[in-house]
Amino acid sequence: MTKPLRIALTKGRLEKDTVALFEKLGYDCTAVREKGRRLILPIPDGNMEVVLAKAADVITYVEHGVCDIGVVGKDTIIEMEGKFFELCDLGFGRCKFALAAKKDTDFYSGFGVKTIATKYPNVARKFFEDKNMDIDIVKIEGSVELAPLLELADGIVDIVETGVTLRENGLEVVEDVVPISARLIVNTVSLKLRQKEIEELVSKIEEALKNND
Amino acid sequence: MRKYDLITPEGTKDFLFEECLVRHETEAKLYDIFKSKGYYELTTPALEFYDVFQTESGHYPQERLYKLTDSKGRLLVMRPESTMPIARVIATRLRDASLPIRLFYNQSVYRFESALKGRSNEIVQAGIELIGSASHMADLEMVSTAIEVLESCTETSFSLEIGDAGIFKELMGELNATEDERENIRYLIETKNYPALNDMLDRMGDTPVIAALKRLPAMFGGEGVFEKASELYSNERIDIMLDDLKKMYNEISNLIGNGKLTVDLGMVNNADYYTGIIIKGYLEGYGEEVLSGGRYNKLLADYGYDIPAIGFGVNIDAITKVAVKENPREVKSADVIIFAEDGFEMKALDIAKKLRTEENITVEIALCDDIESTREYARKKKIGKIIFVDNENLEV
Repeated sequence: MTKPLRIALTKGRLEKDTVALFEKLGYDCTAVREKGRRLILPIPDGNMEVVLAKAADVITYVEHGVCDIGVVGKDTIIEMEGKFFELCDLGFGRCKFALAAKKDTDFYSGFGVKTIATKYPNVARKFFEDKNMDIDIVKIEGSVELAPLLELADGIVDIVETGVTLRENGLEVVEDVVPISARLIVNTVSLKLRQKEIEELVSKIEEALKNND
Repeated sequence: MRKYDLITPEGTKDFLFEECLVRHETEAKLYDIFKSKGYYELTTPALEFYDVFQTESGHYPQERLYKLTDSKGRLLVMRPESTMPIARVIATRLRDASLPIRLFYNQSVYRFESALKGRSNEIVQAGIELIGSASHMADLEMVSTAIEVLESCTETSFSLEIGDAGIFKELMGELNATEDERENIRYLIETKNYPALNDMLDRMGDTPVIAALKRLPAMFGGEGVFEKASELYSNERIDIMLDDLKKMYNEISNLIGNGKLTVDLGMVNNADYYTGIIIKGYLEGYGEEVLSGGRYNKLLADYGYDIPAIGFGVNIDAITKVAVKENPREVKSADVIIFAEDGFEMKALDIAKKLRTEENITVEIALCDDIESTREYARKKKIGKIIFVDNENLEV
């Protein structure tokens, strides 16, 4: 028996969606469902092993090749960057990055350098770099929506799902930055050394996703 | 105030004992392979002018370079790679040398890697360059040498991958796109980002070239790739490239047996200056390639000497890491320790020298105050034999 394929899943909603997808493919994910506090869990009939990690760590583990495959949101991929293959869009975990500001203000007006609050400084920097706009970035760890309300920032760059939080705090989307969904990423060496197993898994997943549509 | 006097800069490290031992062994193996094939060693300075790395066929992104200035205020960099400096040497000091020129190097390269990812900014790289021949034989020499290098480095599994940078360049040549779009397409193919690549190319129309580009990143694997590739896109130059690559694949797979050789036509990595065959080597247990190279027929022209060349580099640190893990080595203590009584120091040195040369063993001179502490020291260091030197040349 060869070493099991090691798959890093982003803990939380993406983990649940991925497990549901794997079960649809016919894999026995009981161990993952009843994980308790364990972080490495077997999928015995698929010769796979699931590792549960925070989004950014999924990328780190896959990049270093200690996990062969990862499931992680495009938001984290854009923020972290890195060297791996991004083989498929899993379709779930859909949302978007957007620039938001206080309702009824003109974000782009005036000549001052704008201040942007965000949890994703790289995403924000790149977005404004493409517009040839200098900005000040303030990194916020918690509810980013607070920053414009407290007048620390002119706008925010953040993940927007339904827009409810924005609306309830008197903010609105100024511009979409980029759409987001869960991605299947693969270590560059693993794809080459274990091509057959990985391609089989990927084509099964793609098949299942097609049937979803 | 000395704040950083006890640590090394980010991305650098000290290598101790076992790591150095294994690294030396690896380097020695590669030296033997390279020398036995008629390659001669050169070293280039760690400091070069910034301009050396900004050529027509390939330029190093400035944010990845360590920069400083010389006494005249000119911009210098710590060499981020060895091929471009070697091209400079060939085009200048070796301009009149008869071709082909075979060179090997073993030196550190410096580049900023993403922070906090456990990567090194200083890596030792060894490699070879074969300059002045565009022949198939030169390609074969390079690929078979790469295999010997990988074989010598590991007891477990390795794999070698070949591709051709020309195929992608040829396809892009027939595509109507801006500079930005081109780089974007290259990046998406390199990262095998099928969804984004499809989205992007869908917006650009539906031509045979675009259809081929969409399928390019999936063109990897064993011999079956060539069959798929023949339906990809056909023009005279691409057909020739594919034929050559297939020929190479068959020749080399006979050499190393099944499964160790793969093809990837979607290898379009940062190696801007590659023009033909590309090679990459992987070791089981290391998450990135350990060997990488290819043909660069236009690079030397950027330094004013228009001749073809091919080469590859090996990440010595990566191989050392895998080798240490695969086969941990104890760093041996000395075989013998010699303690000299007062007045017999020169005699002790003489005996030590004789033992070292005649019996080829490691002999350490005791620096302890007396016999008792020498015994204690030998016990701690696990040195098996103590020689006390006095009138009698007493042994214990």
